[in-house]
Amino acid sequence: MATTALIGKDVREHGAAAIGLLVASLALVALAIAQNREAAFSMSPFEVVRFALITFVPLIVLTVGNRLIVREYLSGTRLFVEALPVGSLRPLLIKYLLGALFLSLLALVLLASCVLGSSAADDVTPLWLGQLLLKTLVVMCLYWSIVFCFSLCGHLRIVLYLVTLGIVALVAWMPAIDATRFAPFRLLDRDLFVFERDVTPVVDMLWTLGLAAAFVVTGFVIARLGNGSVAERLARPMTRRDFVVLGVLVVAGAGLAGAIAENRTREPIRFGNNTVLRVAEPAIEMYFASEAYRARSEAFLQSVQNAIEPMQARLGIDALPITRLALRPSRERHDIDYGTLDGVYVAANWLEHDSYDDSVLVAVVLHGLLTARTAGRAPFEPHHWVLDGFTRWWAETLGDPESLRDSHRDELLARAVFVVSRLDQEADLVTGWQGIADNFGYPSAEALAFSAVLYVAETQGVEAVFALGRSFLAEPVGASVLASLADRRRPAWQRFQEATGTTRNEFTSGWATWLASQAREPGVAAQLGLVPSLEPVFSVDSSDPTQPAIVAGYRQSDSGTPGDVHHDARCFLRYGALSAFDYEFEVGHEDERESLCAADEAAHRISGLHGAGDRVYVALEFESPDFHQPLRLGARRLEIP
Amino acid sequence: MSQVIEFDDVSKRFGRLSVLDGLSLGVQGGEVFGFLGRNGAGKSTAIRVLMGITAADRGEMRVFGERVSPGAIAVRRRIGYVAQEQNMYPWMSPRALGRFVRGFYPSWDDSRWGELNARFGLPEKRRLGTFSGGMKAKLALAMALATRPELLVLDEPTAGMDPVARREFLDLVRGETEREGVTTFFSTHLIDEIEAVADRIAIVEGGRAIYEGALAPLVARTVGYSIAVEHDVPGSFPGPFAAAYMEMLDDSVRGGRRHLVMFLRDDIALEQASAQAGTPQLSPGWRHESLSLEDVFVALVGNRAKAVALTS
Repeated sequence: MATTALIGKDVREHGAAAIGLLVASLALVALAIAQNREAAFSMSPFEVVRFALITFVPLIVLTVGNRLIVREYLSGTRLFVEALPVGSLRPLLIKYLLGALFLSLLALVLLASCVLGSSAADDVTPLWLGQLLLKTLVVMCLYWSIVFCFSLCGHLRIVLYLVTLGIVALVAWMPAIDATRFAPFRLLDRDLFVFERDVTPVVDMLWTLGLAAAFVVTGFVIARLGNGSVAERLARPMTRRDFVVLGVLVVAGAGLAGAIAENRTREPIRFGNNTVLRVAEPAIEMYFASEAYRARSEAFLQSVQNAIEPMQARLGIDALPITRLALRPSRERHDIDYGTLDGVYVAANWLEHDSYDDSVLVAVVLHGLLTARTAGRAPFEPHHWVLDGFTRWWAETLGDPESLRDSHRDELLARAVFVVSRLDQEADLVTGWQGIADNFGYPSAEALAFSAVLYVAETQGVEAVFALGRSFLAEPVGASVLASLADRRRPAWQRFQEATGTTRNEFTSGWATWLASQAREPGVAAQLGLVPSLEPVFSVDSSDPTQPAIVAGYRQSDSGTPGDVHHDARCFLRYGALSAFDYEFEVGHEDERESLCAADEAAHRISGLHGAGDRVYVALEFESPDFHQPLRLGARRLEIP
Repeated sequence: MSQVIEFDDVSKRFGRLSVLDGLSLGVQGGEVFGFLGRNGAGKSTAIRVLMGITAADRGEMRVFGERVSPGAIAVRRRIGYVAQEQNMYPWMSPRALGRFVRGFYPSWDDSRWGELNARFGLPEKRRLGTFSGGMKAKLALAMALATRPELLVLDEPTAGMDPVARREFLDLVRGETEREGVTTFFSTHLIDEIEAVADRIAIVEGGRAIYEGALAPLVARTVGYSIAVEHDVPGSFPGPFAAAYMEMLDDSVRGGRRHLVMFLRDDIALEQASAQAGTPQLSPGWRHESLSLEDVFVALVGNRAKAVALTS
């Protein structure tokens, strides 16, 4: 009877709020699923479950804890229940179970929404769904147990939440700690949470449940200690002693952070070989593998040095990280490895480079330096085109438009015109940048961005370009979290307008007109004429359900100027299965099919490699001695039905 | 008559603070027992121990002859309890409250609940958040009585009430307890409340009872004297009787007079005092002062050690 009365009371008190929370969660999930469908690199609507678990579910759990427990403790109604003939633990246990029940319901709603939003390609099997549900429930159980325990700590709970948040942030974001190696972080691993189908992470789940149990037991002990005296004391405002405890916690936290930071300190990557060239200002190290390559490497080092120094001065950048270049003579000309650990590290083969190839590589170096300078802000999608465009423009001109070689200009503008001609609508550099790069490849996307920056330089002068660079690529990120958030709130086009004095509409229409006029320039037109007038065609042939085939080819395009395509030119189908773990994709030369560049809608056929439910990224590229880098005619993400 | 409540050397500490320090007292069945003490004397903690909400560190607590410990649900079901502060759910109405509380008491009487609500003038559908303090206290009393309790425990139920509401509430308590004949344990720091309802009292100070017994003998054994300060000489005393049979409880100067509160040492002294009634033998300048229960209470709690020695 008492149990029924307690449950009935909580249901009456919180029922409406619980329904409201469920509806609000459902709306958020629906929104997230819709967003997920639109996102360029989304793999599965079930990613929304993980997204929910790391974003709004903790807030919902906090709300539940606040309503079920904190309110009862701080308003004193707990004393009323305490005086009733019922044990001290039963009301608390009922609250814990009610909270857990509500969150389980939320988990079910979350998963059910994702099931409704899924397609055949998501291959929703009962076993996999069970795994997902189990993982979701375990994570929610941990959240709820933490909130349950902290809710019983009165005013101290706020401090405890802050400390916990700090610890989680530390563990999740400190590079020295690989959070994906232990529970509960491993359960929420970006790749494994949704896409792991074969292995049920029993150990991780048990660890997480053990942690949850520890919090629950602590909660009950706090409520029980001294028959409620501890809980009563905690429910009061903080005393001087509480502040001392808080101080100790903060000092301990700072000590822990310091210790971890100390562990992070390690010897930086250093080239220790004799075949290394070093420049102090700007800091560059170059490993050139063999004395035979010294002369060529010294020349390239000079190019890099010549590019960095004036750019740093023009953009007003006081310091840049070290650049390390490693020669890899066995690589293809445009096979470049790039990393930003300990400064900028680039491994490439520059032995056979001409000036265009050098510019490509210099632009990559500058790209890395400015990315590091802005603490990773410059490659954000709305800023990425400025980063790509500016670095390439600088690599080509070193800030002096007269230095731009005609042949480079023609090839780059021809690529840009080609991309624009293949876009369904006007190129939106800010919101559609990643899509452009995905469909036409990074070389063409970079050329498009280069054309935009060149347009600014030619119409408004180089100072406008420098202002653009300073605004997007050189300003240090805010020194505080608030300043950083304020920086993020400045829309890219507002920033653009502040730097160049041109509105978005003025710029895009002017640039489109200018680019169209450039297409008629003899050099650009000639370069465009070297591109076959072909459009990519993609389809999936599932007439034989046991062996679905990907069919790709070319059909004659209405656009473009038929020209004299080089006799050595070839067209390639390059493809790769989109695994669960690919959130950004670029095809290489490993999986490719070659064909002549001619209208043939079934020029390539891949069968027997992919099954129903697979997703495959397919790109058709054109390679010719007339172009330094492959020209992607188009790409598609295909789902095998 | 059997003892319904029995505190036997009960002690309770919170950290370094000793709240109950060997509290011993007994409440007989059917009586209204006043539990009197200053704020902080340990009354509420004693009640929490009595209810089995808090465990005693030492000593034994018995209610209905059963030893009480935290979780003693069966005992608590036989007790109607009115707390000092009414921490009821503000979103509930009296009707919803009744539905909730009856789940805890097998002896819950719905018709009595309705009847008491009507008699106390409590609107059954109004939210409790809109109730005044007096209305909430009445509701708590109605709730306690609707459980058909064998023991009614009232923990300073009138705290914060205005005089009219307090009077009304006390009338209800007196009326209902007389009608039902239920044993009542009434805790308060207000002397007049005790005078109004209690058959016997205990005065608690520093966590222990310094007096337990009926009201009348306590008042009868306490005598007040005063003398104008200008007439007072060192060593002056009210008279030979006082010197022979009385102990000093309080000696203070107020309003230009020196006031003494004296306590008759034992029953023989009480008999002597009765025999000499009307023939006061006072030293020059001294006169008798009539004492209220409040004066007695203040004198007793002001001299705890002597009070314990005299009253035990």
